[in-house]
Amino acid sequence: MPQADTQQFGIIEYVDEDVIAFPLGLPAFEQETSFLLVAPSKTKPLVFLQSLGRPELCFVTLPLEVVDPNYQLSVGAEDLAILSLNEQNLAAVGSAKDARILCLAILSLTDSRPTANLLAPLVVNLTARTGLQAIRLDHVYSHQYPVEAFACS
Amino acid sequence: MLVIRRKAGEAFHIGDSIEVEILEVGSNQVKIGIKAPREIAVLRNEVYLTEHQNKAAATAAAALLGHLGAIEKSK
Repeated sequence: MPQADTQQFGIIEYVDEDVIAFPLGLPAFEQETSFLLVAPSKTKPLVFLQSLGRPELCFVTLPLEVVDPNYQLSVGAEDLAILSLNEQNLAAVGSAKDARILCLAILSLTDSRPTANLLAPLVVNLTARTGLQAIRLDHVYSHQYPVEAFACS
Repeated sequence: MLVIRRKAGEAFHIGDSIEVEILEVGSNQVKIGIKAPREIAVLRNEVYLTEHQNKAAATAAAALLGHLGAIEKSK
């Protein structure tokens, strides 16, 4: 079983099916195209996006619906093609009809407070194991949306 | 903020090395051409913001976990 060296979790074992390909990388990290989704039960609902190429690179994310239950996803046609998705797939996101699509917001600290980037959510097609950061062209959502208290299990 | 009115085909300069030309003006979009040295990064605003946020997020994992723990405890 392959192992990944990570700063956040130490050595972790994974199966190839757990690897999500990000063909475009992430903006500012274009070289990193393979990530693991790690969701430890004790920090639920947090999801960690761990780079397989760089042990120190780990993004902390929350499912979009946890940050903003009313979030309206918008993904451009080119991004949808990379994800092997279409508008119908997208319409089903969040309606519990399609558990094959995972949408995450990357967290960071803004003035020492946790914020989520709702301008550019991560969209992952779990079936195709492909993901990308879908940057919106509209100015509907903030790149520094304050994260309020949420239920950690 | 400096505001300049320009028509399609007109241009302006930023310093000695950057030229910005208005190529086309549509009903809800303008097409802009930018001539700049290779070392000057030209990014759409939303990409610039996302790069910046990603860099901040990449170094914040440990601190974030501390903060999120604090949020949880204060509930």
